[in-house]
Amino acid sequence: MTEPGRALFVPVLLGTVRQGRMSLPVARLLVSELSRRPGIETELIDLARIPLRIDDAGQAIKDPTFSSQMSRADALVVVSPEYNHGYSGLLKHALDSCLKEYVHKAVGVVGVSAGPYGGTRGIQDLLPVLRELGLVAIFWDVNFSAVQSVFDEAGALRDQAYLPRIDKFLKELVWMARTLRHGREHVALE
Amino acid sequence: MAAESRPMMCPECGVEMNHHAEKLVHPSGAQEASAMDPILGGMIEEIHTCPQCGAGASRRGTGEPR
Repeated sequence: MTEPGRALFVPVLLGTVRQGRMSLPVARLLVSELSRRPGIETELIDLARIPLRIDDAGQAIKDPTFSSQMSRADALVVVSPEYNHGYSGLLKHALDSCLKEYVHKAVGVVGVSAGPYGGTRGIQDLLPVLRELGLVAIFWDVNFSAVQSVFDEAGALRDQAYLPRIDKFLKELVWMARTLRHGREHVALE
Repeated sequence: MAAESRPMMCPECGVEMNHHAEKLVHPSGAQEASAMDPILGGMIEEIHTCPQCGAGASRRGTGEPR
């Protein structure tokens, strides 16, 4: 379904700066699948390219470009590899640099791991943080297990079974993004 | 749209913005802690969005019933 007027902006946040990160082809795949959808604009936001200080935290270190991207966003896809049963500390550092930018916007999480669990434990840790930031998490996740075997050396998807899962995930995310945009713009707090 | 005693106007369009959220912000230091509402446990940030262009804006709220 297309919507007249403004396109939805749904960026993909790559939540790791690790060298050799296998989450990069995952994030690129999500950008590609979002780009196919009418009425959607997207871009890849690379955590490694957000210049955030580490001698302070929270909104005191807000980066104007990241803040502007989050303000413009109607929804956010977070690609989050699992770091010792959690998510990356730098992802939390970046997310914490904004607040009002997120309120009543949709978020979906894509978990990534080299092992068999597809980042599920990291997602479970991330969800309460996203809620506190004012984001509305959808009930679909995408889980990339054994990610090193999912993509070839050129970053092309080997396992096509991921595509229908991503389709379900994005359909729900876009529905939530449209609904929340309507709410933000037209439904007043009582 | 609920009546607002102090409506926010969109800086882009000039139309009245929709007040759709009051977010509790936790104090991050001594100065903010002194401004904290002791009943709510933080400060209220009012979140507003323009129904015409979608721009967002916010301001510190009182937390009092509107």
